[in-house]
Amino acid sequence: MQDALLRLQQEADTDLAAISNADQLESFRVKYFGRKGPFTQLMRQLGAAPKEDRPKLGKMANELKLALQGRFDEKKVDLVGSLAAAGPQLDLSLPGRQVPQGKLHPVTQIMEEICAIFEGLGFSVAEGPDIETDFYNFEALNIPAHHPARDMHDTFYVDDSTLLRTHTSPMQARVMETAEPPLKVIAPGKVYRCDSDITHTPMFHQVEGFLVDKNVSFADLKGVLRVFIAKMFDESTAIRFRPSYFPFTEPSAEVDIACVMCGGKGCRVCKKTGWLEILGAGMIDPEVFKKVNYDPEVYSGFAFGLGVERIAMLKYGINDIRLYYENDLRFLRQF
Amino acid sequence: MKFTIDWLRQYVDFDFTPQQLSDQLTMAGLEVDAVDELYRDLEVIKVAEIIDTHPHPNADKLVLCDVMVGDEEKRIVCGAPNARKGLLTAVALPGTVMPGGFKIKKSKIRGEVSLGMLCSAKELGVSEESSGIMELNEFNAKSGQSLLEAMGLQDILVEVDLTPNRPDCASVIGTAREVAAMASTPLKLPVDEGSLPTLSGSIAFSVDVVNPEFCPRYVARRMTGIKVGPSPWWLQKRLLSVDLRPINNVVDATNFIMLEYGQPLHAFDFTTLADSKIIVRTAVDGEKFTTLDGQERTLDASMLMICDGKSPVAVAGVMGGANSEVTADSTELLLESACFDAISVRRTSRNLKLSTDASYRFERGVDPQLAPVAMARLVSLLEEIASGTVDDDGVDALVAPIVPLDLALRVSRTNSLLGTTFSADQITDFMTAIGMEVSLADDDTLTVTVPTFRVDIVREVDLIEEVARIFGYNEISTSLPVVPMSFAEQDSGRALRKEATALLTSLGCYQAINYSFVSPEHADQLGLPADDEGRNTVSLLNPLTEEQSVMRRSLLPGLLENVRRNINFQSSSVRLFEIGKVFEPVADNVQPNEENHLCVVLSGLRYGTAPELHFEQSAVDLFDIKGVGQSLLSGLRLSQIVFSDNSSVAPYVDGAETLALAVGDETIGCIAKVGKECLQKFSIKQDVYFLDINFDRITALQQASKKFVPLPKFPAVQRDIAILVPESCPASDLVEAIATKKEKLLEHVSLFDVYQGKNIKEGFKSVAISVTYRAQDKTLADKAVTKVHQRMIDLLLKKFDGHLREM
Repeated sequence: MQDALLRLQQEADTDLAAISNADQLESFRVKYFGRKGPFTQLMRQLGAAPKEDRPKLGKMANELKLALQGRFDEKKVDLVGSLAAAGPQLDLSLPGRQVPQGKLHPVTQIMEEICAIFEGLGFSVAEGPDIETDFYNFEALNIPAHHPARDMHDTFYVDDSTLLRTHTSPMQARVMETAEPPLKVIAPGKVYRCDSDITHTPMFHQVEGFLVDKNVSFADLKGVLRVFIAKMFDESTAIRFRPSYFPFTEPSAEVDIACVMCGGKGCRVCKKTGWLEILGAGMIDPEVFKKVNYDPEVYSGFAFGLGVERIAMLKYGINDIRLYYENDLRFLRQF
Repeated sequence: MKFTIDWLRQYVDFDFTPQQLSDQLTMAGLEVDAVDELYRDLEVIKVAEIIDTHPHPNADKLVLCDVMVGDEEKRIVCGAPNARKGLLTAVALPGTVMPGGFKIKKSKIRGEVSLGMLCSAKELGVSEESSGIMELNEFNAKSGQSLLEAMGLQDILVEVDLTPNRPDCASVIGTAREVAAMASTPLKLPVDEGSLPTLSGSIAFSVDVVNPEFCPRYVARRMTGIKVGPSPWWLQKRLLSVDLRPINNVVDATNFIMLEYGQPLHAFDFTTLADSKIIVRTAVDGEKFTTLDGQERTLDASMLMICDGKSPVAVAGVMGGANSEVTADSTELLLESACFDAISVRRTSRNLKLSTDASYRFERGVDPQLAPVAMARLVSLLEEIASGTVDDDGVDALVAPIVPLDLALRVSRTNSLLGTTFSADQITDFMTAIGMEVSLADDDTLTVTVPTFRVDIVREVDLIEEVARIFGYNEISTSLPVVPMSFAEQDSGRALRKEATALLTSLGCYQAINYSFVSPEHADQLGLPADDEGRNTVSLLNPLTEEQSVMRRSLLPGLLENVRRNINFQSSSVRLFEIGKVFEPVADNVQPNEENHLCVVLSGLRYGTAPELHFEQSAVDLFDIKGVGQSLLSGLRLSQIVFSDNSSVAPYVDGAETLALAVGDETIGCIAKVGKECLQKFSIKQDVYFLDINFDRITALQQASKKFVPLPKFPAVQRDIAILVPESCPASDLVEAIATKKEKLLEHVSLFDVYQGKNIKEGFKSVAISVTYRAQDKTLADKAVTKVHQRMIDLLLKKFDGHLREM
């Protein structure tokens, strides 16, 4: 019996060493560990052995089987990489189990990106009403009734003195009349103009920003906007400032960046100029300060306003502004 | 504002290429919108000479023309009445694409071969003239020459997007003045402003300015012997180049000088003026007047009118009247060159809904000094092209002498506002470059005399802008502001909104943004009763469309429209949310109440586009939306908001599947299945569940603070209870009953199954509850747990009239 066990061990070791594929592995398993395998038979023969030898032989057979099982498992690991893999083959090319996730609207994503840059520069965030008074939307911003600049704002009216704000600039007056400089504020929000075509929607989003203190200069405005554009687009994005006109800033500037589509060579997007207008800015007009009882001889400041949809269009290459408000999942999933 | 390069060169010499000019103007604040070669599609049109004509054998109205194009002879069939031997005209040869896109081919016309087409001015888009083919003999054209060259049409159109503060540049001369400053060359003006005639008013008519506050200057002269007729080509060409239709020499001259100088002008037929009088006065309320465009308009007392002895003849600064219009028979003219008040003209133009080239300029401000200059120009042009003779004298009604403005400009102020280090000399140079006169008042202060054409410059800061503009915005150095450090505050709702949006996207919802204005029909689609408060909306006076005419009261309709759209575009599993304002009118308040709401809609499959491979898909139900709500509220740590019975079920809600979201007694939102009727109205054929909550109300709540509880040192024991209770008994009441029982060893209780059906008595359900027990100071003995657990079982059996179910 003992000899039979030792022979079995030798034989098994030889067989084990010869295994080179999964099929052989399986036939080895059946041959040695199956119900009709040698161990089962040996155990059955145990009854025929002398009574005093039985425990010793039984223990020996068990140890032998365990050791063989161990070596077999090692072989199996060597051969297929893992024990489990010896079961039904796992198709690792199947997709992972992704719990569905939603996304933020691209306008929100860009708006948050813009706000984060200015928050990083220490600007507070303020919000105001969408339905504004004529006073805050126009009068307080040095746009009296019958001012030609009102033509620049196609205004939705609720009544004679109430309207949907045409820009986020009313927040300049709203914040300044309740707080004292120094002020560093951005005001994101929805604005409305009665204009609708492939490049205009009657509602869109702006971020207004302003900074008021003693000795704030146009050079500071340029510096802050340069930081913003470098972070929003690319450190190497070329910028130009050119004169423009807003009744609530003086000097007023329009800020262009080198066309992100053609790199400044000129294309359809930039109307062959190589430049894209991305924001309006300027030094806050003394008249605006007077309306909120700031002394323009003491304080100066700058303000800027940018259109969120336009920046999203440039960054993401969106070519039709109307897509923003259709909330088509095929659109929303892209960002 | 449009002009052409050739036209501009009449007044200033420069070496810039069109592109350079465009860049320079843009950088000077005159943003160039477009630079276009004029008549580019006419490059292939040639001059042809008709050397002979023959009658067409098969058509009376057609002529066979033998034409020479250079040295090539061609036979072309033509139907124009003026086709005749010796005529130089325009020809489009086969292969030419006409301005309308039509391609000329060799063809047979009524059996005769035609190798091209002889063209009228209208066919070529040169003018409206269509009575015959072009007449080019007077241009000294040569056969074979390009038409553009022959007619001097080659030119480049520049379009400037003028800001409202620069009316001085709403003219070619005004633009030339800027270019002269850039090129450092002198301006060449058609009128010598130093030798204008003195108009003393001894005249054959009278001018009475009744409202001088609206009319600071009125210059008028009479011309006689006028021959009204077509303008010379050079004049027509200028007008055509900027898309203005030539009418006759008189009207064309006034239009041309308006474009040239920026001074609107008007010519009346003198003989139509009753009593030979001009009275400048405001209208009478309700007075009727027919303008040149043939429209009868109703006037009001704020409108300034030019009147004759009896009635109005023009809306001052806006448009002339039909009653005094210059016609082909007019021989005597009263010419007007006036300055009208900007606000008055703007108000009138607005009220009449009539905007013209003249009103555009007056609204923005016209230099009062310009009136006599433009008058001199008009008189001399009409003498030249309409053989008129001007009366020796005329009227110059000037309310107050025009004194150019003197402004103090501080060097220190300039530098501190711009962040520059200019010297007084440098600033002086910048100012003189644009026509300002400068003298030194003291060490730091310059006195700057502003020319009257710069109506926009009235303050020191306006001059500072000019300093920056002339120096170049781009040349100013950059710096960063030095501001005391302070904490950057945030609007209180904003942080919570950001938290909520992050949670909702992690719950598989996409963010939607809908217009704040919606269709008033939404109220009907929601099935709101006629007297429902939700029908009280803020309406727009001037909506773009009916669909966008009222401010929304709820986010739900917009999202339902989004659901429908997505289903239509084959995305039938929709999870969308929106956080946005709704607008509620407040009586006696100018501004309505604006509140942020959050609305989530779920429809279609639970896992959307996720593969069936990993996810057992089925349609969403109420517990999906409830789960979204619970995840959201627990994520926001707002346990004070609870789900409760919805006692005010909205008409668009399925009453059997809705719960209110409440804080104490106050309902602040709900979850629900959208009712069948409402879905039908929105054309949605699958179930939709929504959550709607007043987000500003949430913002006002206190978020639970995060507090650490030490981790337990001893193991917990879990025991289950399965109990049969009457069907009507809410399962959560059982959980609640245990949870609120003050039992020291109780750690956690949760519902894990509810079952009805096979093996369960009719009218009953089986509720399975899992209870976790733990002691803080020792490992619990089985016996102790059993004792407590039995108490819990007894409690449930007694309280809910239940029976134990075999586990």
